Amino acid sequence: MAEFLFYFLSIVAVAAGAGVVLSRSPMMSIIALLATFFCLAVIYLLAGFQFLAAAQVLVYAGAILVLFLFVIMLLNLGDTRGQFRLQDALLSGKTRLGLAVAAALGLVGAVAARRAPLGEHDAALHAEGIDDLTDVATALFGRYSLPFEVVSLLLLATMVAVLALAKRQRGPASQRPPEASATALAAPPPTPAPPPALPDPVASKEEVTS
Amino acid sequence: MNVPTEHLLVLAAALFALGVLGFFVRRNMIVVLMCIELMLNAAILTFLAASRLHSTPDHPSMEGPVFAIFVIAVAAAEAAVGLALIIAVYRLKQSVRTETLGEMGG
Repeated sequence: MAEFLFYFLSIVAVAAGAGVVLSRSPMMSIIALLATFFCLAVIYLLAGFQFLAAAQVLVYAGAILVLFLFVIMLLNLGDTRGQFRLQDALLSGKTRLGLAVAAALGLVGAVAARRAPLGEHDAALHAEGIDDLTDVATALFGRYSLPFEVVSLLLLATMVAVLALAKRQRGPASQRPPEASATALAAPPPTPAPPPALPDPVASKEEVTS
Repeated sequence: MNVPTEHLLVLAAALFALGVLGFFVRRNMIVVLMCIELMLNAAILTFLAASRLHSTPDHPSMEGPVFAIFVIAVAAAEAAVGLALIIAVYRLKQSVRTETLGEMGG
């Protein structure tokens, strides 16, 4: 039963992955990617990784895909149908190169998987699961605590980078102050000029009032 | 589940190849990022397959799950920065097509 489910979900995952590549609307790509992620989550579960299955659904489907969805809706790109056609894409040389690279990679991966010295795994192990949360935490905060800290540094750098990018988006507005200050720096010759000009209206006003 | 590890690896190879194909073929930057996510998922699947292969009941191999968590964190960071870049490009060019960004191409 579990084996049948695995092969069925594998086929669905690959079909949905093809849907990500081939669908015309980015919204359909997102939905296909969601299907792939859910299939993979169930495959992780079947392979004995409960925690990773939960993380896949929560982080990938719940957070990352929502980010994609948010950007598509923000930029209003959901209805760009008909812009991608496989026949047109296949005519370009670059995509033929991509096709060749993808086929070669898939072939190499499949051959490597076939030829790898893979032993028989213990089926009894996977009934109770491999990634017990205690073991994951012990490994994550014990042996792999340095990579863990590096990942936290990466996330901090990401946050700073996204903030910098978001701030720079007000480019025309934020570039104006430097220009204004540059002109102010270049302007010292003109600035002395107004004071002599200013007394004239005042003087003329005084003349008028007098 | 009594499935040989090589079938998991073949599935990962297929997903990775699909991701590479989309990365080259598609011209929409958001879809290109999605294809990168597909490739990262194939990498996670490979990690987990290797961990499953090397686990014994006494010593479950934790390298696979731990590095899968790292890959998920990297994927989240990559998606955040990539989408911020896409929004910045959209503000500049009013488009998310890769053809509109040819200034650095040869």
